[in-house]
Parts: sequence; structure tokens; C-alpha cells
Amino acid sequence: MFLQTLITGLSIGGIYSLMAVGYSLVFSVLNFSNFAHGAVIMLGAYVGLALATKLNLGLGLVLAGSVAGAGIIAVLNERLAYSSLRRRKAPSLYLMISAMGCSVFLENMVYATIGSRFYAFPEFFGRQVISLWGSSVSLLDTGAFVFSLLAIWGLHLFVGRTRTGIAIRAGVSDMTMCSLMGVDLDRLIAVVFLLAGGFAGVAGVFLGIKYLVYPTMGWVTNKAYIAAVIGGLGSLPGALAGGLILGVVETFVSTYVSSVLRDVFSFTLLVAFLVMRPEGLFGRGGEEKV
Amino acid sequence: MNALDVENLNVHYGAVHAVQGVSFAVAEGELVAIVGSNGAGKSTIMWALSGVKERSGGAVQLFGSPLPSRPHDVVARGLALVPERRRLFSDLSVEENLVMGAYLRGDDEGTRQDRERCFQLFPVLKQRLSQRSGTLSGGEQQMLAISRALMSRPRLLLLDEPSLGLAPILVDALMDTILRIRSEGVTVLLVEQNAARALEIADRGYILDAGRFVKSGPGPELAEDPEIRRAYLGG
Repeated sequence: MFLQTLITGLSIGGIYSLMAVGYSLVFSVLNFSNFAHGAVIMLGAYVGLALATKLNLGLGLVLAGSVAGAGIIAVLNERLAYSSLRRRKAPSLYLMISAMGCSVFLENMVYATIGSRFYAFPEFFGRQVISLWGSSVSLLDTGAFVFSLLAIWGLHLFVGRTRTGIAIRAGVSDMTMCSLMGVDLDRLIAVVFLLAGGFAGVAGVFLGIKYLVYPTMGWVTNKAYIAAVIGGLGSLPGALAGGLILGVVETFVSTYVSSVLRDVFSFTLLVAFLVMRPEGLFGRGGEEKV
Repeated sequence: MNALDVENLNVHYGAVHAVQGVSFAVAEGELVAIVGSNGAGKSTIMWALSGVKERSGGAVQLFGSPLPSRPHDVVARGLALVPERRRLFSDLSVEENLVMGAYLRGDDEGTRQDRERCFQLFPVLKQRLSQRSGTLSGGEQQMLAISRALMSRPRLLLLDEPSLGLAPILVDALMDTILRIRSEGVTVLLVEQNAARALEIADRGYILDAGRFVKSGPGPELAEDPEIRRAYLGG
């Protein structure tokens, strides 16, 4: 029971981490909360669903298609809704409001075109279990957890080692000087949104398989926000750790305390961190940018 | 061909007319200094020349063709800026700052040579390669800021207040370094509040006051001018 609960928690936590990573990336570069991230996750899930049900593709191709689809949607979202504000150096509040508008628009666009029905993914390996140290755990949960870890580790290497990755971190440090190194900021920000959208696509497919696909499924990103705050906004290892901690805590609370109290615990955790450690576990708070 | 031809440059910050019709030229290989008191518009000129700050009027030619409007295109044309207060990527290591300096370069061999050249100018950087640049001392940060700019192998180097916050002995070394960089064929436009030191090493100097040039001439001559000494050089 304990191990099963832990694995379930880690798998949900892995999905939270995937969402938190995209959220954190955009926050660290553009300094605003991208509230449209949830809508991109939702659209990624619909892309995956279409590939799985209409084209009968396997999980690998569904994930790949959803990554590409959500990535492109995120880039278009930035081009259409944020780039002109960004170039005019608008305060980040304006970007946030624009993001909220996008979120409402995209959800209602799905209501108007696809409808409000709940859809389920076909069963890839949904019910299969593997036995691990005497407990039986879901193959999907284990797979989602491992895949989330690998994806975030890959992103960590990309940001740490590649020229584009270093440029992203340079942009986080000082956008203007980054452009004075010869970096085309429009292109760099497109890469950031492509990455964030790709991670949203993976999260959308996993969420859709685990639960269902519906227009407001993206609201679960408020959990990603909590995860990002716990780990420290803008920090990749923080997003991973925050997501896993939140997932495990939630699952244990649902299993051993009460599933009704789950969200009470999560939001209490958020408030506790904001009050006592606003820089999160891995954030480097208090450092001034001159 | 001139490295820089500036004709009637105007820059506004909202209603504030920060640069009011400034014209000057920098020949290739020259070291030109613009000096003036705090708030005279020196940094504004630098940001406008690097494409960051929009001009409200005037024409700028960089190596004979119009200045591009976006900073990354300006850099691609051979200009590099060492900004006031250095503005390093403080969360990145020394090495990563140098990598960013060479962002547009495709030639690995040339990039490696330029890195060695920077280590010759500033040997201490070689020992600090993996250190986070925000933890360097002020002098080391200035060395890294200059090296980062040199890593793009610029034809025109803009230096904005490089002596700011440095101890006098480091300022001496800095002025020597600037002369050395110029002697290697890089055109230098130097902006300084430390007017005496800048004019001593400059081929030509301009005195900027409230957004306009009030005097220009050979650097050392301006440095000796009694009227200028009284007004700008503190006696």
C-alpha cells in the first residue's frame, strides 16, 4: 500500500513537474505568470487524443505529436498575444492579463468547436501492473514518472551545455546585454515557448491518459504554480523537486487522511512557502539585479 | 572609411531631450573620448549607437552603411559595447560569459585564439573560469566585461565608464589595456566621467554638456585647456 501510494504520488508529481518546468521557464525569461500555460496543456491533450483515436497511433507517436503541436501553439500564442507588449516594454502585469485572456479564449474556442464532452484516451497500458518489491504498481504511473525525470534531465543538460541554453540563461540574467551579444531575442523567446509548450504537450497527454480530456482540464496548472513556488520560481531542479513533493504529499493526504482535504493541504503549503520562504527550496532570493 | 559617422543625433527619454543634435565621426583605428559630467548624455549616446535606445532623430553610419535598428544586427556588423556598470551575466560562470561574447562566431579556431588573447591581457580570468561572474571583484568584473566584448572580435569597441569604481592603480592598468587593444587595430570610442585620464590617451576628445558638444579637439590638448580643466577636470 505504502509503495503503491508513493509511486502514484511520484507519477502525479512528475506531471506537476513537467507543467511547472514550462511555467518556470517562461517566468524566468519574461518575468510574468503565463496563465495560458494550462490552456496549452489542454490543447496538447486534444492533439494527442486526436492522434490516438483518429489515427490509432501508439503512445510514442502520440507523445511526439503532442509535443510538436503544443510547442507550436505556445509559440503562436507568444507571437500573437505577448510579443507586441514585450517589444513595447509593457509592465509584466499587462502580459499576465493578456495571458488570462488567451486562456479564456482558448478554452471557449474548444467549447465552441469540439464541445464540452469528456473524452478518454484509448487504453495504452492503462491497467497493466508490474510488481515491485511485493507491491503491484501501475505501469503507466511508473512510466510517467520515469519519462518526466528523463525529460527534465534532458532540459537541464540543454540549458546547461548548449549555446542556445547558455543564451537562455544569459537572457534571464540580462535581456538587453543578451541581445548585445548578437542574440535575436525574438528567436530566443520562441525557443523558450517551444520548450515550454513541448513539456506542456507531454503533461497534457499524461493527464489525459490518467484522467480525462476536457476543456477546463488545464486548470490543474494551479498545482504547477504551487510546485514552482515550492521549488523556487525560475529554477529547473526546483520545479522538479517542487512537483514531486507536492504530488507525494497530495497522494498521501488523499490516501491516509481524506481526499477532500487534499487541496486544502496543497494550498496551505503554497501559503506557508510564500510567507516563510518565498524564494522556494532552490531559488536564490534577495539577489538584486542592478 | 570612417568607423562611425554620427550626424545630428537626437535621443529623447519621454519629454527629456537627453541628446540634442550631436555630430561626430570616428575614423578607423582611432581612439576617441567623449567626456562630461554625470547626466550629460554620454551613456545615452552609447545605447543609441548600439541600437538599444531608439533615436528620435539624426543619421548614424557604421562602417559606411546605416546603423541597423536592432541590437543583434548592430553587433553582427562589428560593434561591441562594454556598458556602464559592466552588466555581466552574473549567474553565469566566467567561461559562459566568454561563450556569450563569441555567440555569433562560427570559427572555433579563431574563437580559441581570442580567448587566449584575453587571458594574456587578463591572466586572472583563466584561474576564475568556472567561477560565477557575480562573485568576481570589481576589477575582475571589468576585465571580464572587456573580454566578453573582445570575444566577438569587434572592429569598433564602445567603452562606457570603464574606470567607474576602480582603484586608481587599476585605472592606470585599464588605460594601458585600452591603448593595447587599440594598437591591435580595434577602433575605440571611450566615454568617461574621469575626463583627465580619458583625454590623456585619446587621439581626439569631445566635451559633452547637457546633451550637446561644447568643445572638441586633440585629447591631450583638451586635457591641458585651462578653461576645460576648471569646468570639467576639477581644477
